Amino acid sequence: MTKGELGRIAGGTPRAVENALAELATAYEGTGLRLQRSGDEWQIVTAPQHAPQVAAYLGADRLRLSPASLETLSVVAYRQPVTRAEVEAIRGVNCDQTFYTLASRRLIEERGRKETPGRPILYGTTWEFLECFGLQSLDELPRALSPDGALVPGA
Amino acid sequence: MMESQAPRVTVEGFDGPLDLLLELVEEKKLDILTVRLGDLADAYLARVRAMAALPADEVSAFLALASRLVLLKARSLLPSLEPLALEDAESEEELRARLLEYAIVRERASQLGARLRAGERAFHREGGTIELPPRGGEVDALALAFGRVLTLAAKQREEDIVAPGERYSVEQRTLEIEELITAQGRVSFATLLGGAPTIGFAVVTFIALLDLYRRAVIDLAQDELFADIVITRREPPSVRN
Repeated sequence: MTKGELGRIAGGTPRAVENALAELATAYEGTGLRLQRSGDEWQIVTAPQHAPQVAAYLGADRLRLSPASLETLSVVAYRQPVTRAEVEAIRGVNCDQTFYTLASRRLIEERGRKETPGRPILYGTTWEFLECFGLQSLDELPRALSPDGALVPGA
Repeated sequence: MMESQAPRVTVEGFDGPLDLLLELVEEKKLDILTVRLGDLADAYLARVRAMAALPADEVSAFLALASRLVLLKARSLLPSLEPLALEDAESEEELRARLLEYAIVRERASQLGARLRAGERAFHREGGTIELPPRGGEVDALALAFGRVLTLAAKQREEDIVAPGERYSVEQRTLEIEELITAQGRVSFATLLGGAPTIGFAVVTFIALLDLYRRAVIDLAQDELFADIVITRREPPSVRN
């Protein structure tokens, strides 16, 4: 649900809603729930540390992705919104199949079109992406490497 | 969920030319930032040569990178070759930057993969508007209803539900109800049904009421869900005119 909706229903200013959300997030700490944010949208989800129990209750299977799908997903996650051609330029291979796989898993979705010749489709990650990776928001994406930091791959 | 394995081309375990090149750098424990990429040309070509039959477009991608590497190597051996280089050819630094970027992507992918394997994910409740049960579901009402059921069950049922001929006529029942309402002003549906209505009697009474309502003779009111229906007479048409 968006911050605007929350404000409309609860009758508060965006500022008040923001404070209330922060308060709620704090209140959830250490409990089985947490707030998840995607852009302007907020949702209450179960805490990742309880995933085994919740998954068992829901009968949910674990998501499995091939290394190629993971690579494509990581480029989309860190570079979004991004076109398929841009992902292919980085990975150096055709990504048709992995894009199809990720979209059908609802891990990525279309985010409009880039205003360049051909108006290619832009892609970004979804709610389900945050959920599947137990991220509260995109800010939580692992930041282990910086592009200009000392890099020793495989070490 | 299993990864749908539509034919996705993976060459000897390498996910494309960059992947292979990065693999070589790592195998030789070299640093991407300092390695002379041209030095890898031989090893790279050896790997590409060892590949079995490949789809043409995949091969071309591998060969394109191979040619870059060979060109880089040639340049380093023969600096005088420089002017002959193709203008659009990627310089060593451009290729290094690309490889570096790809290494980061692969590292991030493996981190994401580790998160996925750890299985620490969240779940949400399926959204949408929550469907509230209709009101009137109070516990007392339930007890009352059960009491009524017991009373009904204790009574003798109508023996033959399908009447050989029509035992109640809607027209007659309509007249009866109309008279009753004219006399009393308001009547409840329960009163009309009486203590132990047979199914036929109840149906005829109900249809009669619907007919009266349709003809705007009566008004129907119900305070809450499942409460008794109160029937009142409408103001005679003459008053409204």
